Amino acid sequence: MTGFRNGGRLTDRQVGVLLVLPGVAVFIAVILYPFISAIAMSFTDRSLLNPNYDVVGFENYMKVFSDPYFLQTVWTTIVFVVFSTLVPFTLGLIWAIVLNQGFRGSEFLRGVTLVNWIIPGTAIGFLWSWIFNGQYGILNALLMKLGLIDQNLSFLGDTTSALVCVIIARSWQMLPWYMAFLLGGLQGVPLERIEAARIDGANNLQVFRYIVIPGMRQIFFLVLILGAIGNLQHFDIPWTMTQGGPARATTTLSIEVYRTAFKNWKLGQAATVGTIWAILLLVFSIVYLKQVKESD
Amino acid sequence: MFQKTLAFKIFFTVSLILIGCFVFLPLLWMINTALKPSDQTFSLYFFTGPLTLDNIIGILTDKTIMNYLKNSLIVSFLSSFMATLVSSFAAYSFSKFRYRGRKIVMGAFMMSQAFPQAILLLSIYLMMQRFGLLGSYWSLLISYVVFTLPVGTWTLKGYFDGIPDSLIESAKIDGAGNLRIMTRIVFPMAVPGMVSIAIYGFVWSWNDLLYAMTLVTDPARRTLAPGLVMTYLGEASTNWAAMMSASIVAAIPVTLIFIFLQRYFIAGLTSGAVKE
Repeated sequence: MTGFRNGGRLTDRQVGVLLVLPGVAVFIAVILYPFISAIAMSFTDRSLLNPNYDVVGFENYMKVFSDPYFLQTVWTTIVFVVFSTLVPFTLGLIWAIVLNQGFRGSEFLRGVTLVNWIIPGTAIGFLWSWIFNGQYGILNALLMKLGLIDQNLSFLGDTTSALVCVIIARSWQMLPWYMAFLLGGLQGVPLERIEAARIDGANNLQVFRYIVIPGMRQIFFLVLILGAIGNLQHFDIPWTMTQGGPARATTTLSIEVYRTAFKNWKLGQAATVGTIWAILLLVFSIVYLKQVKESD
Repeated sequence: MFQKTLAFKIFFTVSLILIGCFVFLPLLWMINTALKPSDQTFSLYFFTGPLTLDNIIGILTDKTIMNYLKNSLIVSFLSSFMATLVSSFAAYSFSKFRYRGRKIVMGAFMMSQAFPQAILLLSIYLMMQRFGLLGSYWSLLISYVVFTLPVGTWTLKGYFDGIPDSLIESAKIDGAGNLRIMTRIVFPMAVPGMVSIAIYGFVWSWNDLLYAMTLVTDPARRTLAPGLVMTYLGEASTNWAAMMSASIVAAIPVTLIFIFLQRYFIAGLTSGAVKE
């Protein structure tokens, strides 16, 4: 198409650039500039309370790496990301296989499932706080009725169970998302190959192991990487359920950055944590991009 | 796909029941709690006792929460519209024009979701403070546009790639200008994709908590998600019936959009990532 002229005014090339400019402008304003400026900020003692600041070199980094809480935060983030990715992925895959059977009402169930993913994370956080509530929560009542516990447990008040609760809530939110992708993937598995395997005497497990899984490798990889990136970023549910507590038990990197910057006003230190976190994310993103390129 | 052997039937039934309960019961419990009279909040009955709309009506007549809702509607509609427009322009440019730097810009857009949002927020906050935009909708609008951009651009590029160049060239020969080609030929053919992106952008803005909580400091401009967090968290005694009702009210607009536009919704949800 190049070489065409539009009324002798703009070349195609110029039109193309002009069209992409609004996108580039907002990208620079919201991603590029803030990102670079945050990295620069990580070498200062900038605070939200005081407009003046000094360059302090690697002081923030030393502080962060010698802070025992920081390692705990990284560990919590890893646990949160791994389980909040694998649990809904597994359940979403099973759910997709079930719904893919195409029984009466399966279309309807698929639609209703997606509602969980669409509603605000804030609402989901509220809902699960209520379910896990230590005094009147339905989970306590159910366990009590089944005779599994003899006094109410404070699920969100305990440092071990709080993280589990947050992971369950996040898994509940994301299950539909995995289901939607995996259902699409299942429907893309070539039926002829399954038929052929059947003729060779393959049973269900063999079909699953040797045809369905290899056929969906690409999509497995994509949803796991995208899911992990999403979880590394995630903020809403832990924040609404526990604000990162009790005793930092559910403080992930995103909560740590937010709290350091906007509750403790230490911008420089928050930027340092954020920069380290960005490097982690970058690793995932590069893997993702490579995969997308290969599938081209 | 699978033979209905006994083992498969057991797997199917057990999964259907267990995952079905996990997926559907919590939301029903939310509705159930919202519909109970407030003195029954702690009773355990499941839709089988007295039910009332009082809690929901209480939320719908709460001026503060309704103001949050109004703000959310304004921000979500505007940002969704802007995001669709910006994505369409960019996608059309990527699809049908060739210029230096095109590939780099495409890669940059695609990566933008992978930058940690909380760290970007630090500088965005300072920037908005400097320009005096904290407390206006602008800070949110441009942020949301960017977060829709990757999915938006990739989805729409797919649509535009499907439009044959010859169609555009023949329109040019007939004397149509670029603007006319775009608005009369190219964009109309991508309407389903644009609807998907508009929905995606709307839901993103509607559900966002982090940016909305930080960048809008004026209570009169506060959107629903941070509004609810600030209303209900940190109260001495939690009003669960009101919280569940407010959550339902917050969930209704996006759920309605989903019900009526489900086809576009699923397309938008999956195309962003699997595309290419």
